[in-house]
Amino acid sequence: MTTTATAVSADSKGVERSGRRPGRSREGAGRPGFAWAAPAAVFFGLFAIVPLALVVALSFASWNGLSDPEFAGLDNWKKLFDDPIMIKSLWLSLLLTLLGVVVQTPLSILLGVWAAGHQRNRAVLSAIYFVPLLLSATAVSVLWRAVLDPNFGVPAHAKWLFGDGNLFGMQSSAIGVLIFVSTWQFTPLHTLIYQGAARSVPRVLYQAAEIDGAGRYRQFFHITLPQLRNSVVTSMILMVVGGLTTFDTVLILTQGGPGTDTTISAYYMYQKAFKSFDYGAASAIGVMLILVATIISLVMVRLTGYDKMNSTMEGM
Amino acid sequence: MTRRTRLPRTALVGGAVLAMALSMSACGGDDSASGDDKIHVLVYGDATNKVEKQLIATFNKTSKVKAVLDTIPGADYQAKLQTIINSKQAPDVFFNWGGGSIKPFVDAGLLLPLDDFIAKDPGLKDNFLPSVFNSTVVDGKAYGIPMRGTQPVLMFNNSKVLKDNGLTAPKTWDELVNAAKVLKSKGVTPIALGGGDKWPTLMWFEYLYDRVAGPELFQSALKGDKDVWASDDSKAALNKLKELIDAGAFGTNFDSVKFTDGGSPTLLATGKAAFELMGSWEYSTLQDSQPDFAKSDLDYSAFPAVDGGKGAPTDIVGNTNNFYSVLKKTKHPEAVAEFLKLQYSDQFVKSQLSIGNLPTTTNTEAQLDGAASPDYARFQYDLVKNAPSFQLSWDQAYPQTAGTALTTAVQQFFNGGIDVDGFIKAMQALPTS
Repeated sequence: MTTTATAVSADSKGVERSGRRPGRSREGAGRPGFAWAAPAAVFFGLFAIVPLALVVALSFASWNGLSDPEFAGLDNWKKLFDDPIMIKSLWLSLLLTLLGVVVQTPLSILLGVWAAGHQRNRAVLSAIYFVPLLLSATAVSVLWRAVLDPNFGVPAHAKWLFGDGNLFGMQSSAIGVLIFVSTWQFTPLHTLIYQGAARSVPRVLYQAAEIDGAGRYRQFFHITLPQLRNSVVTSMILMVVGGLTTFDTVLILTQGGPGTDTTISAYYMYQKAFKSFDYGAASAIGVMLILVATIISLVMVRLTGYDKMNSTMEGM
Repeated sequence: MTRRTRLPRTALVGGAVLAMALSMSACGGDDSASGDDKIHVLVYGDATNKVEKQLIATFNKTSKVKAVLDTIPGADYQAKLQTIINSKQAPDVFFNWGGGSIKPFVDAGLLLPLDDFIAKDPGLKDNFLPSVFNSTVVDGKAYGIPMRGTQPVLMFNNSKVLKDNGLTAPKTWDELVNAAKVLKSKGVTPIALGGGDKWPTLMWFEYLYDRVAGPELFQSALKGDKDVWASDDSKAALNKLKELIDAGAFGTNFDSVKFTDGGSPTLLATGKAAFELMGSWEYSTLQDSQPDFAKSDLDYSAFPAVDGGKGAPTDIVGNTNNFYSVLKKTKHPEAVAEFLKLQYSDQFVKSQLSIGNLPTTTNTEAQLDGAASPDYARFQYDLVKNAPSFQLSWDQAYPQTAGTALTTAVQQFFNGGIDVDGFIKAMQALPTS
């Protein structure tokens, strides 16, 4: 409850301050005009909308980066839908994303709710636990590649578990490693989201439940979890967008292999652009990824009622 | 402030931000390279740069047009080169691998044929070993001058492991298969392979195809004759390779091992494996990471001969060398020609040898005793000099558009993902132009 209280008082102070601000017209008090949004809008236009438009245009052209781009009509798109690797890569992207959500969500909810407590040991453990979040995905991948080396890493000393240690030579284990590494790296971020959300659940709810005789598990399932609903959606959208655009772990851990068994769309796009120098095809893959990610995000927002921005405090 | 004044102010703020953003995005373009009285030399950034720096210092002592060395870190080199080569920041002279790596630039009309330079100074061609010089000839014209060391692929072995098991370096394919069986029965992985990187696996195909079918098969394939992949020779080469894989010569987890993180060389050095097929840089790699092993037990031989095959047992594959190519739009062709001449100078040879590289100039032989390891340098030099054919690595010889599909097929054939027919189909699908 303390956190909520301080947040509220800080807010009201902020309102007072801007209200007293000299030189502001009465009609627009506290409401920023367009000028406030202009820098963001301009940057968004320059670095998101313009490149996006260029990529869409490029997906209808053939370009190797050297000569001028030539209009190619629907060639890239036709090739894209006939390309078994592209179809496979899209499925792999969706599979990795789904597995990521399924594995990370329960884990980070449990860790987040646990870390929301106030005991001292939790603070220390949480701090250590957040370290992976600070490392770059590249460093994380290089680290795990070394740890999982079949001849000199952990698998060599735990043959009963890993067999010959050919983790990167089979599709199932290669995907397993990718999921494991991204879970290791990103669960802390989602834990952080849930920790914050769990701390802002009003304590009166628990006090009331206790009086009614509800145990810890009932409190968790009937108070904490429903109160975390919006955070679940936020976290899942982050996971979906992050999952669909995963790239660095694949580049370093599996290079899309064995064969094309972990060639997810984002990596396939990189191969087309910077290995084969076929920017037209790469752009088409990029546009496709954007479309898929947008559709999935919209569906998620709709299905969860997140767009209505309903407060979990309703009925309080 | 009233409503009337608000709009102009909004526009002002927006405009200022826009101008700022535009000037920020433009500042990458100010550094024009060829506008000044200098020639820019773009090189793959690594330890060898110290030789390139020395040469440029030498050149600048006497030349009025000064040379500037620009480097791009290795892994990003190809992608960044391709991005800038048709822009204002394009260099005058740049490092490459010859063959397919420069073909798109030749096709786009960006490179200067060096035939005029060579006509004025025949030494630019005659002072280099022909098998190496030829790998920058595109459509009958020379587009590059060799500028570093040659990198043939050799069979390295751990001589202690071989001795302990009563074996010697194999001279024929049958000896190699036999050695693999003996070693496997003793619990040693016969051959270390960094399959995770894919290109080390490709080396086995390059040699087997050469030994069984001769160098002509690949040359025809490169020219667009896709039928050669389905020929009897091609199938024979693949079946021989399959035999070796099925005999367990590479162990079972090679796709999880890499060369680039030191995985496969360490297998060789620690005696967990007996052989490794690798480019000549294996020697300096191990000198760095396992100096004791490099000194005492590291040994090497040529790739084994294959009985009844069409290729000469003295043929080699690998990176013939690296090359300097010249951009057509350079403003100082005379200065560039003078700079290229340094690449066969005695100073160049001496500096390259001292860091373990083996230059491919005709005056190299006389200076071999000054090499970091004279025996190793002489072995390589004789190998390259006597080779009737020096096949450039397939992934460099093919156009860049083919690279990914090629190495994917290679990896899948080795791990059983595709069979002989599948591999043939994959190779026939590669673009050749």
